[in-house]
Amino acid sequence: MVNLFKRMRKLKTILNVRVGTGAAILPSAASATKEFPAITRLHLTYARKMYGGHQGARHFWRNCLPRLKYHNPGIQMTVKQTEEQEGPAALTIYFAGRASNAASLTAAAVEDKHAPAPESTEKTAAVDLKNLDYKEIWNKVKMMTGAQEVPTTPEEEAELQKFEQMRQQSEKDRVRIATMRQAKKDQERMLQEARGEIEKLKQL
Amino acid sequence: MSSYSSRVPSVARSLLSPCRSPLRQGPMAPLLSSFQQVRGAKSNPQAQDKKTKEKSKKVKKASREYKQRDLKDMDQFSLCDAMRYIRAFEVGREPTASKYEIHIRLKSLKDGPVIRNMLRFPHSVQTESRICVVCPAGSKHEKEARAAGAVLVGEQEVFDNVKKGIIEFDRLICHPDSLEALNRAGLGRVLGPRGLMPSVKTGTVVEDVASRVEMLRGGTVYRERDAVIRLPIGQLAFSPEQLRDNLRATIEQIRKDAAGLNDRINKEIYEVVLSSTNGPGFSLNGEFKSDDSPDAASLSGL
Repeated sequence: MVNLFKRMRKLKTILNVRVGTGAAILPSAASATKEFPAITRLHLTYARKMYGGHQGARHFWRNCLPRLKYHNPGIQMTVKQTEEQEGPAALTIYFAGRASNAASLTAAAVEDKHAPAPESTEKTAAVDLKNLDYKEIWNKVKMMTGAQEVPTTPEEEAELQKFEQMRQQSEKDRVRIATMRQAKKDQERMLQEARGEIEKLKQL
Repeated sequence: MSSYSSRVPSVARSLLSPCRSPLRQGPMAPLLSSFQQVRGAKSNPQAQDKKTKEKSKKVKKASREYKQRDLKDMDQFSLCDAMRYIRAFEVGREPTASKYEIHIRLKSLKDGPVIRNMLRFPHSVQTESRICVVCPAGSKHEKEARAAGAVLVGEQEVFDNVKKGIIEFDRLICHPDSLEALNRAGLGRVLGPRGLMPSVKTGTVVEDVASRVEMLRGGTVYRERDAVIRLPIGQLAFSPEQLRDNLRATIEQIRKDAAGLNDRINKEIYEVVLSSTNGPGFSLNGEFKSDDSPDAASLSGL
């Protein structure tokens, strides 16, 4: 098994699942208000490559969806990656009962045939994600659903800062080690060449 | 530190050194011992001789076992918390492809016997595994194996297919009557690296082919490699209770295996890590849930 310290270091990255863009709690059945009804499911569809503005949608899946899933473990989230670059890049939000006003205002008429059909008690609102940055997508989603962002605690803040410092230090160290290795290699090469010359002299 | 050790008589120092537990080999230990050695070399050459002997003995001993680090620095998680993280990492992945995995680290000798066995989970992980049986064509074993659900049964046809690189099965079982033919066919080179080559040791050369096929269809084979046993333990849709049942069954089985190995060999479970196809590994602390973990119902399903 991998060295314990390496594993520990790697495991610290789970902090990125707790904090960052998309770390928010969506309204559930318990916390639903009149303005923002509960969310039951999310579905994301996008094409595999970035041509045609599919990049933001993929980044949304990479960056925001794990955080959303962590803070809302009960909400089902599905992702469909298609091969159709001309096809839709859309996020379908399933509301319990009725869609929120903000959602019905911003909902676009995108045809997403990969999204599962809503049940009789669900209302859907689809967002067109083409040519949008993942942060823009997140802002839209937040506005439509009324998600409450989870504030970062001071400890998490400190830890983030520590990792940033470690990252900067590791860049410096990488340069330092690279020069050391290069110097050693140069030395060896020079010795090799010198030995080669002696051999040549011997042969003459 | 140095002034202290120089003042203590050398006899007392050699008395003190065994107090350090040989299990705790932090990064400081080798540093310290070499330092003390240098001091000893100047003051008392006889003591130094003794110490080097002691040290070389210790090194030899340590190298026979796999290194055990102290787990107290490691973040450990309850099952529900680990599942919550893993489900977040696996979001949007193909739900049938992603699986929970378990890695069980053992306390074990490097050159000792290894655990290899198979087990049936209370909740099946794989839906179906395809099994191939090698037995003399037209024998009653062939009929039995087919009845038990083997996909491919035969002798020469199987060998030909394997040689061509067509391997459409996950397990290979052999009847003792066909073992010689199998060995003559020279398939070890193809099957060996895939772990498919039948052998008596793994329990894949058996008289009673049919019952073995039955057993293998729902079972998972595992073996210890470098003191770690890795095996898939659940589908991503499993609830924490289902996963806990599977985990318990696995650990019990491994304890039994370890106990049944040899009287002198002492194998213990040292760490249990829950991971998944795309997620990081979470060291488990043995609890089912912690205070701030979500309710179990929200951790199941896809």
